[in-house]
Amino acid sequence: MLAIRFHGRGGQGAKTASRIVGTAAFLEGFVAQDSPIYGAERRGAPVAAFTRIAKEQIRERGVIVHPDVVIVADASLISDPTARVFQGVDDRTVVFVNSSLSPQQVATQTSCSGRVTTLDLTEIALQRVGKRGALSALLGAVAGRLVGLHQESIRKAIAEELADLGLSPSVIERNQTVAAQCYETVQPVTIETGVPQPIVPVQLQAPIYEPPTRGTARISAAANSVLRETGGWRTFRPVLVPDKCNGCWLCFTYCPDGVISMSKDDRPVIDYDHCKGCQICVHECPTDALVAEREKEGEVAWRAK
Amino acid sequence: MAGEMMTGNLAAAWGARLADVDYVPAFPITPQTEIVEALAKWCESGVMAARFVTLDSEHSMMTAAGAAAATGARVFTATSSQGLLYAMEVLYSISGWRTPLVLVNVSRALAAPITLESDHNDVLAARDSGFLQIHAETCQEVLDSILMAYRIAEDERVMLPVIVNLDGFYLSFTREPVILPDPEQVKQFLPPFQPAHLGFKASSPHALGVAVLGGVTYSYFRHQMHLASFNALAVHQEAAADFARIFGRRYDFLEGYRLDGAEDVLVMTNAFASKGKAAVDAARAEGRRVGLLRLRVIRPWPADAICQALRGRRAVAVLDQNLSPGQGGILFQEIAASLYHEPVRPRALCSFIGGLGGKNISEGEFRAIFEQTAEAGVRGKGMGPVLLYTKTEHREMTELQMLAAGPIAGS
Amino acid sequence: MAWQRETFKKIKQIPREEHVLPGTTLCAGCGGLEALRLAAKVLGDDVLYVNAAGCFTMLAAYPFTPFKGSWLYTTMGSAPAGAQGVRDALDVLIAKGRLSKEEDLKVVVLGGDGSTYDMALSSTSGAVARKLDFYYFCYDNEAYGNTGMQLSPATPYGARTVTSPCSLQHPAGATQEKKDIFELWRAHKPPYIATVAPRYPLDLEEKFARAAKFTGPKLFLALSACPTGWLYDPGETPEVAKLAVETGLWPLKEAINGDVTHTYIPKRKPVEEYLKLQGRFRHLFEPTVQTDVIAHIQSRVTTYWERVKQTEQGA
Repeated sequence: MLAIRFHGRGGQGAKTASRIVGTAAFLEGFVAQDSPIYGAERRGAPVAAFTRIAKEQIRERGVIVHPDVVIVADASLISDPTARVFQGVDDRTVVFVNSSLSPQQVATQTSCSGRVTTLDLTEIALQRVGKRGALSALLGAVAGRLVGLHQESIRKAIAEELADLGLSPSVIERNQTVAAQCYETVQPVTIETGVPQPIVPVQLQAPIYEPPTRGTARISAAANSVLRETGGWRTFRPVLVPDKCNGCWLCFTYCPDGVISMSKDDRPVIDYDHCKGCQICVHECPTDALVAEREKEGEVAWRAK
Repeated sequence: MAGEMMTGNLAAAWGARLADVDYVPAFPITPQTEIVEALAKWCESGVMAARFVTLDSEHSMMTAAGAAAATGARVFTATSSQGLLYAMEVLYSISGWRTPLVLVNVSRALAAPITLESDHNDVLAARDSGFLQIHAETCQEVLDSILMAYRIAEDERVMLPVIVNLDGFYLSFTREPVILPDPEQVKQFLPPFQPAHLGFKASSPHALGVAVLGGVTYSYFRHQMHLASFNALAVHQEAAADFARIFGRRYDFLEGYRLDGAEDVLVMTNAFASKGKAAVDAARAEGRRVGLLRLRVIRPWPADAICQALRGRRAVAVLDQNLSPGQGGILFQEIAASLYHEPVRPRALCSFIGGLGGKNISEGEFRAIFEQTAEAGVRGKGMGPVLLYTKTEHREMTELQMLAAGPIAGS
Repeated sequence: MAWQRETFKKIKQIPREEHVLPGTTLCAGCGGLEALRLAAKVLGDDVLYVNAAGCFTMLAAYPFTPFKGSWLYTTMGSAPAGAQGVRDALDVLIAKGRLSKEEDLKVVVLGGDGSTYDMALSSTSGAVARKLDFYYFCYDNEAYGNTGMQLSPATPYGARTVTSPCSLQHPAGATQEKKDIFELWRAHKPPYIATVAPRYPLDLEEKFARAAKFTGPKLFLALSACPTGWLYDPGETPEVAKLAVETGLWPLKEAINGDVTHTYIPKRKPVEEYLKLQGRFRHLFEPTVQTDVIAHIQSRVTTYWERVKQTEQGA
C-alpha cells in the first residue's frame, strides 16, 4: 500500500488533490481511499488530506501516521507546529514541497529527513492560471507522478473532481494543461516502501480528576489568541511605501484581524506574525501606499519583521 | 403524623425554595406545571429571593438555566417528557460547562402517541448527558433529594448538574404528608454556592464551553465528567450522612426492602416501588422469600452497592418502566452488566417491562413476576423481556381497536 | 432632517485599542470579523459574548481566545436564552450584593444568519419580548457558511449556494427572497435595531454608541461579505460591502422603538455592479445573461427605496 499525505492551507486544494489522486488510482484499477481531516477548515488554516492506494483491500482509515509520500502545498506550513508536516517522515519518505528553492536548500533549511523534491507550483499557477490559491490539479499531478500513476488517468481525475466543484469546462481544461506540465516537470524520486514497523503496545495513562477550572473546556487566559501566528497563511504580504502614505487610517479601519496599528505619526504598522494576507489594506489604500509582495521562501520567512 | 399534606410537585417547589435558589427559568408542561406555578407565586410575593422568568421553550429554559449557573447563580428548573427531550441538546452543554444546577423531571411517557402519564423513557434518555440522576419514591424524598442534589452538584469534586426525578401523576399530583426542613438547618447542610471555575464578571474574564478540535482534547474533558460523576458516589455518602445527622432521614444510593433472607429480589425505581413493597409484604406473608431493591441514584451508577445487594440471590427480576425498542429494559441491561463480574451472581436474571404510559401494575402482576422469577431461579435460566399486560387489558384494547377501525359515521 | 452622526464624525475617532485580537482561524478577509472588530471598539472589554453555532464558533477554540472579555458557547438555537440567563444572574447577584456593580458586563449574542433567521428566531423573539437588556450581533453572510455555504433563509434570490445550485429547473439558483429579519425584529418594537456594513465604519461605530443609551434589546444586522462563500478575492471584502450599500441592496438604517430612519441614502448604482463581483452570481452573467433575474433583483431594490421615499419624508 502507498500512503500519501497532503498538507495545505484551507482553499489551496489539498483535499481536492487527494481526491484527484484517489480517483486516478481508482481509474487505473487500484483499490483507493481518500479522506480529508476537518479542523478549522478556514481559508488559510492548515488542513490535511490522505490518499491510500493498494492492490488489495485497505484496512486503514483516517490519519496517515507513516506516509510514503508527503505533499506540502505551502512551504510556510513546515514551520507551523500545528500542521505537523514532517510527522512520521523518515529517510525513505518522499517529501514534495511547493517551493522555488532546490530540494537541497529545502532539506537543509528544514532539516527534513525525507527525500525532498520541489517545484514552484504557486508561480506556475500565477503565471498559467492567473490566480493565487487553488493548486489542487497541480498538486494532484505531482503526487500522481511521484506514486507512478499515468498522466491520462490524472487528466481524467482532474476533470471529474473539478467538475464536481462546479468549475467551468474552460477552467478545467486550463488546469489539466498546467497539471500536465507539472506532471512532466517534477523530479521523480524513487519510493521505497519500507519494512513494516514492529507494533509495540503503548503505555496507557488514564487521566485523573482535576477541578473544573482545568478539567473543562475553559480558557482563563485573556486574548491569548496572539500566541497562534497566522502570518504563514499569506501568499502575498502588504508592504508600506512610506512616502506615499497620507496617514488616512483606512487600512487600520478595514483590517478584519486588527493586525494594523497606527504609529504616532499616523503610519500603519503591520503585524506580520498575524497578517493573513487578505490584501484588504492594499485594495483600500487610496494612495497606493500599500503594495502586495510575494512572500519570500525559507523557513519562517513570513515572520520577518 | 408530622408534616403537612402536599403533592410531589409542591414538595419539589419547596425543595427549590428551601435551597434558597437565585434563579428559576421556567416553561409549563403537564404534569410539571404546578412546580413552576408555586415558584412563580413565591418569587412574586417575595418569600423567595429569586428571579422567575418564563422562557419561550424548554430548550431556551435549559440554556438560560445553564448560563445563569455559569454566571454564579444557584438555579432551579423543572420539566417533563417532551420538554426534557426538546432541551436534550442543552443538557449536554450544561454538564459540559460543569455547571451545577438542579432540574426536576416529572416523568411522563414520550410521544408518539402523545400521552400524559408516567414512564421513564424520558429521564433515561438523559442517562448519558452527564447529569447525575436521583429517582424519588415519595414526596418527602423529592424534597430531600433536591437539597441533597445541590449539596452534591456544587461540590468541587463533582460540579455536575443533577436531575431529580418523580413520577407524573403517581407522585406529582399525589398528596401525602411531607416534613418541611427548617430553613436554618438547610443553611447548615447546604453551604453558599461559590464555584471556583464559574462566575462571569469584569475582573475575571474567561471563555467557557469553547470549541475543541481533535479527539485528544475532547476525550480528556468528556472523561473528566465521568470522573466527576464517579466522585459523586463518595460525595453523596458524605451528604447522606450529614443529612441524616441534621434531619434524621437517611438516603443511600439504593433502598433495600426486606432483603434479609430474600432468595429472589425485584429491582424497581420511583413511585411504583411503593406498590412493589406492598407486593413483597403480601408474598412474604405467604412464605415467599422475596425482597425489593429500589434504585435511587441512577447516575453515577452505584455498581458496587448493587452487586452487594444482589450477589448470591437465587433470582433477580428487574422491572423496567421504560422500553428500548429492539433491546428491552434499560436498567435490566445495566444491572446485568454490573453482575457479570460477580463470582456468586444470581442463577437467573429476569426482565419485566411494566407501567408504560402510566399503566397500572396490579398485585396480580407482581405475583406473576414473583412466580416466574422463582421458576427462573430454580431453572437457573433467566428470561425476558416480558411485557406486563393482562388478559383483561388485552380484551379492552381489542375493543378500542374495533372502534378505531369501524365504519365511519353515516356510512 | 437627514440622520446625523453625533459621536463619530471623523475616521480618526475610531478607538485605537483592539478588543478582538489577532490569531483567530477565521478566513482571511472575513467581513463578519471586520464588523465585530469595529463593534467591539465601542463595546469594550466588559463584555460576555454568548455565541451561537456558526463561523464565529471558531473565534474561541481551545486553548485560544481572541477576547479580553468573556465568552460562552451555547447552541445554535438558543444564544439569546443564554444571554437571558447571564443577564438575569448578573442582576440577581448584584441585587443581592454578591457581585459589585463594577463587575457588571454587557451581554452580547453572536449569531450567524443561519441561527438568527431561523433556528434562534424563537429564542430571539422571546428575549426581545421580555425586554432583555442585551445586544444581538448577527453576522449575515447570507448562507450557512461554517458548514460550507448552504442555502439559508438569508440567502438572496439569485444566489448560488451548494444547496441552491443553478440548474435547468432553477437557473436563478436560490428562488426564495431573503427573509426580512429587520422587519421581523421591528415587529417586536425593541428600543434599537440597526443594520451596519463595516465598509461604513463611522455609521457602524455611531450606531453602537447610540444603542448604548438604550436599556433593552439592541439588535444589529451586520453585512458580512464572505470571500469564501461569495467567491471573490478576499481583498475585495470592503468593495463588495460598498456595492451592497451603494446599489441599495443593503440599506443602512436604524429603528428606534420601531421608527425607521435610513442613515445613508445611496445614489443606487445598478445591482449588476454588485452581482458581477461575486462568483455566487456568476451564473446570472455566464454563459448567458439572465436579464429577467437581474431585473427582478433590481425591481425589488427600486420598490424598496420608493417606499422609503414615501414613508421617510425629506430623507
